Amino acid sequence: MTESPPAVELRGITKRFPGVVANSDINLVVRRGEVHAIVGENGAGKSTLMKTLYGMHRPDEGSISVNGNEVHFKSPAEAIATGIGMVHQHFMLADNLTVLENIVLGSEPRSGLTLDFAGARRKLAEISTSYGLDLEPDELVERLGVGDRQRVEIAKVLYRGATILILDEPTAVLVPQEVDELFGNLAELKSDGLTVIFISHKLDEVRRVADSITVIRRGTTVGTADPKTVTAKQLAEMMVGSELPTPETRDTTVTDDVVLGVDDVTVLSPTGRPLVDSVSLRVRRGEVVGIAGVEGNGQAELVEAIMGLHELSAGQLTFGAEDMTHWSTRRRREAGVGFIPEDRHRQGMLLDAPLWENRILGHQTEAPMVKGIFIDRKGSRRDCARIMSEYDVRAPGCDTLAVALSGGNQQKLIVGREMSGAPKLLIASHPTRGVDVGAQAAIWELLKDARSAGLAIILISADLDELIGLSDTLYVMLRGRLVARLDPSDVTPEQLGTHMTGAAA
Amino acid sequence: MKVARRLGLALFAPVLALVVAMVISALVILAIGENPTVALRELFNFGDSSASQVQAVAVIVNRAIPLFLAGLAVSIGFRMGLFNIGVEGQYRLATVMAAWVGSAVVLPAPLHLLLIVLVAMSVGAIWAGIAGVLKVTRGVSEVISTIMLNFIALGLASYLLTGPFQGTVEGSLVTATKDIPESGRFPSLNGLLGGLGLAQPRSDLYGFLIPAIVVGVVIAIVLKRTRFGFDLRASGLNPTAATASGVNAKTMVVKAMLISGGLAGLIGLPDLLGDTHHYGTEFTSGLGFLGIAVALLGRNNPLGIAFGALLFAFLDRAALSLQFAGIPSQVVVIIQGTIVLAVVIANEIARRIAIRQAERTGANLPTARPAAGEQQATVAT
Repeated sequence: MTESPPAVELRGITKRFPGVVANSDINLVVRRGEVHAIVGENGAGKSTLMKTLYGMHRPDEGSISVNGNEVHFKSPAEAIATGIGMVHQHFMLADNLTVLENIVLGSEPRSGLTLDFAGARRKLAEISTSYGLDLEPDELVERLGVGDRQRVEIAKVLYRGATILILDEPTAVLVPQEVDELFGNLAELKSDGLTVIFISHKLDEVRRVADSITVIRRGTTVGTADPKTVTAKQLAEMMVGSELPTPETRDTTVTDDVVLGVDDVTVLSPTGRPLVDSVSLRVRRGEVVGIAGVEGNGQAELVEAIMGLHELSAGQLTFGAEDMTHWSTRRRREAGVGFIPEDRHRQGMLLDAPLWENRILGHQTEAPMVKGIFIDRKGSRRDCARIMSEYDVRAPGCDTLAVALSGGNQQKLIVGREMSGAPKLLIASHPTRGVDVGAQAAIWELLKDARSAGLAIILISADLDELIGLSDTLYVMLRGRLVARLDPSDVTPEQLGTHMTGAAA
Repeated sequence: MKVARRLGLALFAPVLALVVAMVISALVILAIGENPTVALRELFNFGDSSASQVQAVAVIVNRAIPLFLAGLAVSIGFRMGLFNIGVEGQYRLATVMAAWVGSAVVLPAPLHLLLIVLVAMSVGAIWAGIAGVLKVTRGVSEVISTIMLNFIALGLASYLLTGPFQGTVEGSLVTATKDIPESGRFPSLNGLLGGLGLAQPRSDLYGFLIPAIVVGVVIAIVLKRTRFGFDLRASGLNPTAATASGVNAKTMVVKAMLISGGLAGLIGLPDLLGDTHHYGTEFTSGLGFLGIAVALLGRNNPLGIAFGALLFAFLDRAALSLQFAGIPSQVVVIIQGTIVLAVVIANEIARRIAIRQAERTGANLPTARPAAGEQQATVAT
């Protein structure tokens, strides 16, 4: 009996871009009906490779075969027609449409001149039950949680007839319980003969869910591993070429000087619902205060309140000895509040502007970026170059547009920018989201060093290991309130997850 | 090489647009049974004598000055994603007020001029400022409010002209404000032309050319080199990131509208101070709307706007000579319209090429966000 051809086979894929490492001689074999994990550094070409496979650009060398036939995709549409679907890391859903409408969007079922919603509904119900996606077709997407949205994305791809699914860091935004559900769905897909390509850098998850693993380092495949036998440590060594970094902090550096005081802060939604409900906490010099919580439980609004982007309905903010409640965002930044936003594209970057202008963003009143009322172009460029070398931002130069950088490199630029100019308080919202292991370790080190140097840090993260490892004090936020204060030295991610979902109460 | 490539990309859109517009216009001229080559010849026919050639250039420059100012006024809004459609009303109201104040007072020459300029800029700024304040306090779209304010401004200007500001006697052919006295007129540059050994044009070359150039340079420096300009551009590129960086979005909207309106107030002054010396029913209209087209053509860049203004003025000049050649002067309007449409399309193509290039250097998916100018197109045309 001859074995069926592999679902996807990449041979000698090379893709050159001026100045940045892309792919060189990538070899990858994904068998039909398996979950195949691809692990590796973001900047090293994982995304580039997936874009090649998804038809977003063509390789310079090498061949792609799908189900044994060589293909040359000119666009994602051709990849979709061949049965390849991609679930992006950033969800691409229209909030104000229903689940069903989102799923048919772009491939609307026509019957004559009208839309055949009944047919679409039947097809969605079929997909939903056979893969255990459990979707409610008429629910508005804006009412869905992160895990549900992801299932909508998966259903959308399946609706288009995909038999090979690419999932780009699907667990980055999920809590442990949601990750379990996702893995359950993946098992259903697999048992139905579908092929899943799973991109991740969470090594434990990869070992749990994958049938085989391919490791990419610095743009090329460095080997494959069997998840049943390989250890997380061995995988990490293959990935970064050295030992796996941990977020663990060293001895305590917490002092008694309170840098930020949050007292009974309440933030209301436009409809009067409390988003942040009388939250009080203290952040001291040299202390990392971690805030855990399922996304959408008020963490984002708390951060915005501290940054002066959201008005307080009640309560007080103190910075050192001063009342900061009514300061403008700029005054807070000038006083020494650094800000790493949770969504760097939305709040942290000017994507269409060069890196040196992005260096200025958020520091428009500080030397060496400005001289009086004028922008100091030379000074900004020099400081941009300094950040690029000190924080290992891989890009051709300071005149490169920010949009051209990989997510990890964008994030390193932001971290470097916000750590410059001796801040006293740093609001770090998901500082390592969508960032590769190398950059993650670098950012952890930077946070630890800054903490020992006396920086007060508020850390918000969906990565529970990161929260537990870095925090000196750990709060859990649920429906706008701080519902638990935990000691990071003796709490497990599972316990934390229980608190986050409210099951502990 | 990098510079050449970037320049090539920047020039690609307008040049392509120009070529496409010319082809379409030629087809239109053919369709009405005229000869496109005759039209083309008339476009470049500046006369035989050096005097008529200088005159032609003076006419073009005189027309280009207000168009340039109008383009600048519109571009300030575009740069931060604000659509000031109300430039038309702002300059008409500003000009009638400035003409009245200028005719009502007598001051030493520089002070008199300064007063007129200040009145014009203030009126324009206040009128645009209303839209800005409405936007930040009540969330009214500036597109809607500036369009509405246009109607009010035009009505108000007509009322003022026929009512309290009327300087002509009842029953005369035109209605106008009183003439501004000599001390409130801007000296022409004809003396300078003479100094350069050129023939004197029949009509004065507006002295307002000098302030217009200064304004253009100042705006370019403010946008590119100052903190304020950075905040403004950041607000246009990514409003949420600008807010997070400490830019006060609300004051920024008001400031941008005030500057845009202040510049709009200048639009009528070249004609008012250099030629007519009064505001009347015959006063040049439509400059505000043309400004939108000029800003689009110049891609919101002061130098580009200067070229756009000169191009439009060059086409406008040909209207008369086309008529002499038996071709309807509306052909010029058709050419201008197709240029703007073609520019919008070509800009979009150039933007996609630029993004594809950026993508090629990196690995991240760019978020497609059309620039202010392109969104504008639907309103402008």
